[in-house]
Amino acid sequence: MFEIRFVNSSQVKLVGRLDASQAENAAAALKSLSGSATADCSELEYISSAGIGVLIETFKRLRDLGHTLTLANMTPRVRNVFAYAGLDKVLRIE
Amino acid sequence: MAARRFPRSTTALEAVFGFVAEFLTKEGIARERAFDVDLILEELFTNMVKYSREGKEEIEISLARDADGLRLTLRDFNVDRFDVTATPDVDTSRPISERKAGGLGLHLVRRIADRFEYDYRDRVSTITVWKRL
Repeated sequence: MFEIRFVNSSQVKLVGRLDASQAENAAAALKSLSGSATADCSELEYISSAGIGVLIETFKRLRDLGHTLTLANMTPRVRNVFAYAGLDKVLRIE
Repeated sequence: MAARRFPRSTTALEAVFGFVAEFLTKEGIARERAFDVDLILEELFTNMVKYSREGKEEIEISLARDADGLRLTLRDFNVDRFDVTATPDVDTSRPISERKAGGLGLHLVRRIADRFEYDYRDRVSTITVWKRL
């Protein structure tokens, strides 16, 4: 199960498991972000390369519009996946 | 050892994760070990679904415990050869503008697994991964 909760136009919360079966829905939902945003990852339990791909594409789309996407409050396990992917220093992670 | 076959679709992932949870519980292995096992299996399973499009049969996953840890095996039947261990690694030094999700899955498997082998015979692709506990 995976869910994106929209707190307001600049804050979302990623909840559950972002795997390949959820990537398409996640990508579609994140397209509604049009300004700088923070994604709270405190309840993101799992992420795979498919989920990371969605966040990379969202990060790049917002950056091309002059905005940023910040990934906040990752659990150590999820953060490790970003580190293995070499993305912990490239994406904006707090 | 436990083995099960899964439809070649990402919608089967929930059942794959359920299979892992069931196996770890039965073997008395801590639940938090599931994260790495799920990730390895998801990346290899979705890779088979995406790149062996000629395959029509279900993909078999088997899980076994040995002296050092876990042995994970995926078998894809009646498909062309695709040696996942021979794919190039992702260049993580590239800037974000040049980074894509493609290839990242196998890159993650290489980082997380302790050993990773490919075998192809009689049109069956077999990937075996060892993960220490």
